[in-house]
Amino acid sequence: MKTDHDHTKALEVKNVVKYFHDPSTFQVLKGVSFDVQKGEFLSIIGKSGSGKSTLLYVLSTMDTDYEGTLSVNGHLLTGQAQNTLSTFRNEHIGFVFQFHYLLPEFTALENVMLPAKKLGRFSLEEIEHNAYESLRLLDLEDQAMKSANKLSGGQQQRVAIARALINSPSVIMGDEPTGNLDSKNSLAVQDIFRNLAHEFGQTIICVTHDNDFARNTDRTIEMADGLIV
Amino acid sequence: MRRKRKNNVNKQIASVHLTSKKWQTAVAILGVTFGVSMYIFMNSFMNGVNKAQDDLAFSNLAHIRIDNESEKRDYNPVSDKFPASTLFNIRDKKDIQSENDIKNTTEVMSVLKKQSEISNITAQLNFSVFFRSGSKKINGSISGVDVENENRMFGSASKVITGKWDDLNFQKSGLIIGKTLAENLGLKLNDNVNILTSDGISKNFSVIGIIETSVKEIDRSRAYININTARQVLGKNFDYSSDILVNLYDRNKTDQIVANTKSAIKYKMETWQEANQQLLAASQLRNIIAIAVSFAILLVAGFGIYNIMNMTINEKIREIAILKAMGFAGKDILNIFLTQASIIGLLGGATGLILGVGISSLVNRVPFKVAGLTTLPINYHTIDFMSAIVFGILTTIIAGYLPARKASKIDPVLIIRG
Repeated sequence: MKTDHDHTKALEVKNVVKYFHDPSTFQVLKGVSFDVQKGEFLSIIGKSGSGKSTLLYVLSTMDTDYEGTLSVNGHLLTGQAQNTLSTFRNEHIGFVFQFHYLLPEFTALENVMLPAKKLGRFSLEEIEHNAYESLRLLDLEDQAMKSANKLSGGQQQRVAIARALINSPSVIMGDEPTGNLDSKNSLAVQDIFRNLAHEFGQTIICVTHDNDFARNTDRTIEMADGLIV
Repeated sequence: MRRKRKNNVNKQIASVHLTSKKWQTAVAILGVTFGVSMYIFMNSFMNGVNKAQDDLAFSNLAHIRIDNESEKRDYNPVSDKFPASTLFNIRDKKDIQSENDIKNTTEVMSVLKKQSEISNITAQLNFSVFFRSGSKKINGSISGVDVENENRMFGSASKVITGKWDDLNFQKSGLIIGKTLAENLGLKLNDNVNILTSDGISKNFSVIGIIETSVKEIDRSRAYININTARQVLGKNFDYSSDILVNLYDRNKTDQIVANTKSAIKYKMETWQEANQQLLAASQLRNIIAIAVSFAILLVAGFGIYNIMNMTINEKIREIAILKAMGFAGKDILNIFLTQASIIGLLGGATGLILGVGISSLVNRVPFKVAGLTTLPINYHTIDFMSAIVFGILTTIIAGYLPARKASKIDPVLIIRG
């Protein structure tokens, strides 16, 4: 599984082609290839329908219905079994969705703790401590015990970001991760991301509409009609 | 260690799901409760009915009855004396006076006593008589009984409503008479009654007791005397009887006993299954009904659970997608929802057990004064409780498994992209 070429590459995307079949067959990604370096803060921009979100879901390993290959940290993930991929995601990939997506019946703290409990690498006390740290980073520690459905949209999105950080994943992906945040919080999140990338070597890949956000990243990939421009 | 924590997080999610929609969970649990309790009630009731029926039937029916009656005799003494090829002609052939009775009672009983399955043996000498009291004459029968063993087999003493069963031992000319027969003859305790046998023997007895069985026919026509007195009345010796009745520890083993003793006992041996086939058929039919109804109930409960689990999973489809995105595998999702189904099954099974016993004991108090019964019969069997629990939980898990498998196969991308 481990391919030994380049230890500085976090992500290797080779000639990814993807079709949608519903309602009619349509080629969304028309052969996308790029590399992302470890510790790089990358943004993907493009118009609606350019295929940028679709590409992100392929990178996230959740979408396996594509042609071409994807490697993360030198692991070839194309063609792996679903169970292998979910274990890999749990350990190596943190994800922030466009519409926050917390478990509404759990408290903010429990939401953040879930991926770590699933990973099971640390004791419950350590996980709780780390979850508090994550929440504190996003200025949410006083919301920790609140049920997720009692939080505002912006708070929920920041809890989702805290959750994405909990397992210290090597790659963090976001689909409009700051879409629901005001400019102050948005800037704070961008600072956190940049810090994680540059201080801790975590790779950040974000799809965004926000040109200010894109300008704040190390590199921006622009997509149009299923291709990188 | 690592695996245990993963399971814990699955269990935690399952318990949050169950407790966040308490009403829905309660409805699902109630479905199982209802199914399990009805299963227990139906089976306990049917067992009660079967037992009552058996008690009623075996209050005057032995497991095996040995007698010398009504078998067609093809014994031809001529063929014993002459070779087979001899031509003979007998005019006006009649059966030699048939020997209706058992002459070697002790021998037959000693053969039977060697069988370890046998719990009780008693001999009877039954014959038809006219009861005569004043101007009244009523056709009936006398049962000469072995006082102790008769009581042990049929509990006769408890059916004597006036007088005492054991007095038959002490009063040689004493007789215990059926309740209706006594009324019809106008007899009370200590009155005298005359009996007349078919051979023309007449003897006076005094009424030392009145008996009421659950069988009207017996109460209307039968009286009991000591078997020794009966032998004296008929002028027979002390090894003479008309019926030998045998009870077994397990009444279903009659065929085995008959097979074991057939070579040693030349008389007709009739098992209760042959004598009362309707009894067997009725109890088997009731069992089939009970099983069919309780399975139908469990099936309905199963569909209820299936529906609720399906609803839950449709409601939580986004959460399932998030869990998968966070790295929960299909088998974790399956585990989460199967845990919910199992908890519903366990809680429903436990409450169903309690409710089932509750309903049964209430029904057991409903008055029902027919044929020796006072209330509706209920009889608990451990096996019913165990199978109710097993079926209840099994139904729940199967009903939960199908939606849970569907959930485990949800493609998170489809849900998250919207």
